[in-house]
Amino acid sequence: MKLSALLLCLPVTVLAVEFGSPGFPSSRMDADGRLVEDWGAVGVRLAGDGPFRVAAVKLDQLIPAARAVAQRGPVMMTLTAYRAPIWPSGVDVLTVRVEETQGQPAAVAVGLDLPAKTRIGNRTVTLNKRTVLTFPAPQPDDASWRAWGSCDDATSLPRWGKPSVPCDPAFRNIRAGMGGGPIRYQFSVPNKSAAKVVLGFCESHWAKAGARPLLCRVEGAPPQTVDPVAKWGQHKPGVLTFDARDENADGKLDISVRAAPGAADRNPILNAIWIFPATTTLKLEDVIAGKLNSAATRYVDVGGPNDQSLFPTDKVEYKIRLPARGVRELTFYVACTGNNAPSPTTSAWTPETLYRAALDVWRGQLTKR
Amino acid sequence: MNAIHNCHRCVSRRDCIKTLSLSALGATMLGPTIHAMGKAPSQTAPGDHIDAAMLRPRPDVRVAATFFELPRPYWLGWPGTTYDLDKHQKDYRALLAKSSKQLGIQTDLTEKPINDDAGLSAWIKKLQTEKPHGVLVMLQHIKTWPWAEKIAKDTGIPVVVFAPVGTAFTGHIGRASRVPGVYVVSTLDWSAVDGALRMVRAKRLFEETRMLWIRKNESNETVLDRFGTKVRAIPRDTFNLAFNKQTATAEVRDVASDMRRHARKVVEPKPEDTINSARCFVTAKRLLAEHKANALSMDCLGMVSAKLVPTPPCFAWTILQDHGITAGCEADLWGAMSLMLSSYLLDRPGFINDPVPETAHNTLIVAHCSSGTKLAGFGKPAAPYILRDHSESALGVSTQVLWPVNEPVTLMRFSNANELIIDTGKVVVNVDTPPAGGCRTSVELKMDNIEDCRDVLGFHQVVTLGNHRRALEGFCELYGIKHVHSPEHSTFADRANT
Repeated sequence: MKLSALLLCLPVTVLAVEFGSPGFPSSRMDADGRLVEDWGAVGVRLAGDGPFRVAAVKLDQLIPAARAVAQRGPVMMTLTAYRAPIWPSGVDVLTVRVEETQGQPAAVAVGLDLPAKTRIGNRTVTLNKRTVLTFPAPQPDDASWRAWGSCDDATSLPRWGKPSVPCDPAFRNIRAGMGGGPIRYQFSVPNKSAAKVVLGFCESHWAKAGARPLLCRVEGAPPQTVDPVAKWGQHKPGVLTFDARDENADGKLDISVRAAPGAADRNPILNAIWIFPATTTLKLEDVIAGKLNSAATRYVDVGGPNDQSLFPTDKVEYKIRLPARGVRELTFYVACTGNNAPSPTTSAWTPETLYRAALDVWRGQLTKR
Repeated sequence: MNAIHNCHRCVSRRDCIKTLSLSALGATMLGPTIHAMGKAPSQTAPGDHIDAAMLRPRPDVRVAATFFELPRPYWLGWPGTTYDLDKHQKDYRALLAKSSKQLGIQTDLTEKPINDDAGLSAWIKKLQTEKPHGVLVMLQHIKTWPWAEKIAKDTGIPVVVFAPVGTAFTGHIGRASRVPGVYVVSTLDWSAVDGALRMVRAKRLFEETRMLWIRKNESNETVLDRFGTKVRAIPRDTFNLAFNKQTATAEVRDVASDMRRHARKVVEPKPEDTINSARCFVTAKRLLAEHKANALSMDCLGMVSAKLVPTPPCFAWTILQDHGITAGCEADLWGAMSLMLSSYLLDRPGFINDPVPETAHNTLIVAHCSSGTKLAGFGKPAAPYILRDHSESALGVSTQVLWPVNEPVTLMRFSNANELIIDTGKVVVNVDTPPAGGCRTSVELKMDNIEDCRDVLGFHQVVTLGNHRRALEGFCELYGIKHVHSPEHSTFADRANT
């Protein structure tokens, strides 16, 4: 009998395991291998049936951790969770290890089960504006992705804009790349097709020009740098047009807005996106007034009610091809009590440095005189 | 490192401790003032004394280094046929050995230069295995720049690129300088390379530091992003309870005596006040040693406000900082990290302060009560100081350190782990209290490149003697920290529009 099968024959003796770091509330891994936090739970899904064996372990004989093991057909999945004691109050590190155990190549889909109403970003999951989970890397392209949506880790800020003139309602809402991250959108389009893209802005924080210049890129068009206050003024809606094209013939049109080099305020903003047929002649004041929304093939009230993520709600999935006896590991950073998961935009944490942080702190506990 | 001195083989206890203190700080000379307060009093029982300088971390620092050249002989192209490769490399090897020895860095310099892709690949593999704390590449041909960038990309290890003049144009330097984790030194001035090695050492010091965060009623430990510094929170009462137990030992009396003796003037503090201040110093050392910690930041003002201690710890913090031990005020974590940057990178104490724009002269007054005195460096003579009481409470002892007039200074402040504010200026005058109110060390600065003093960014900035802007910017670039400066042009000029 193989070792993995033998392990599964053993009785499940632990229903849940708590773990943490000194001075902070614990987190819990339940009997189904789900990590239970103050914001909800995250589970890891792999096709097939079979129970998890959950146990308390000590990593390097020092760091308290929870481990769950399950066999799914030829693949053994091992979940390990421990608390990395990062300032100010830590983060839980969840490692998912999948291993082919029967000597045959295997294709598996590892998915995360997340609470309803989470918003999936490029590398983060947010719930009620709290970053509850960070991915190790962007999700790979997937057929389940929506036809259009944001694919970044920016924050929606409804009613942030205060346009001082009558205009489309989209100018009241924004998404902002807090921490200096870009705002990115992707739209499915016919391969190699052209389109006219209009981006809308309304700066309602800075009164003075020069604070938040933005670098706007639309696939197939020359990039444009705009300082909304310099060009239109504070609280004044304005638009930029781009002759776009699916230049790389992948059937997708990429749009991004980021802080221009040298910008004092590194958080980019975007209020609205319109995509029109390439041959459309536009009166920009009509676009600003919202009179051409119905003529657009896409109209996005960025950060508003009709905005959406490119990634389906509560679904994060990695399709993995394992060679015979092959192993693959994925690491997720999960927010624990009272904290956010570290931002991939601003944080320098890596799985290695997080683990070292835990080792340092637990060693420090032992060596305290 | 054992912070408790227990050496029985020394010729004399004082000499031994003095030597250890100096080597810990890389110092070459000791000023004749309050630095000596870390010394062991002759009456103290063996093993009872804690040498403050020994509380500073002593990390191993490993740097891998090599030369990049193209196959010889050179014909046209920079640095040119006349460039004597062997001589330059011999000179740089000697300089690197000297710097490494002085800084306590273990440098692994390849025996031969790397001159082809195969050699580069093999070295990258070695770096990936050995994971040194930093990499130094010394360019010997203008066409080797892509190799330097590849090292950074493939290893993720911070890379210092030394490009002696003759191996780069604007484009090379501009491009490589924007690669994350790369710091380019384009110069013939070896001291800049030495400075870059100090950056690697400073980062290791941060990583090996545990800071006591003495505040509230919390007990936990966390680690700071990017720096790896451990922050151990302990309840505020820990300090005053330990202080209450600290009697006026021989060491305490010696420190108090030195404190008065070396002062240019003692204004308010009575002998009992200086004894209490010295008790603070010894208490702090003991807490640091107990927790195997190397720095602290404490809610001192809260303790004074609650009348838990008869003196604020200002002068104790002054002594600790002169020994290279970061001692921060008001439990300001990032203020303490900014002090630590001055200590670890610039080898001198900083002065955390409350900034006051002086609008009549368009200057900035920086004021607090815990300035170090070794302003020019741990191994340099101390600045004069006057013993005062803590002006806000009229309690105990604090310090008025007299900063040298007309000397350049640098202001720095971490906003968080990702951003450092850097400004420079010059000392105009030391401000007395009275006539001024506020803190006892009060220094008026004329700021560089800031049109209006009201625009100076930050609070609790750390002021350090000397213009260190380039060194600080380099540290930031090597470790992925954004550096920002206060606005050059007045933001008040068109306030009608704001």
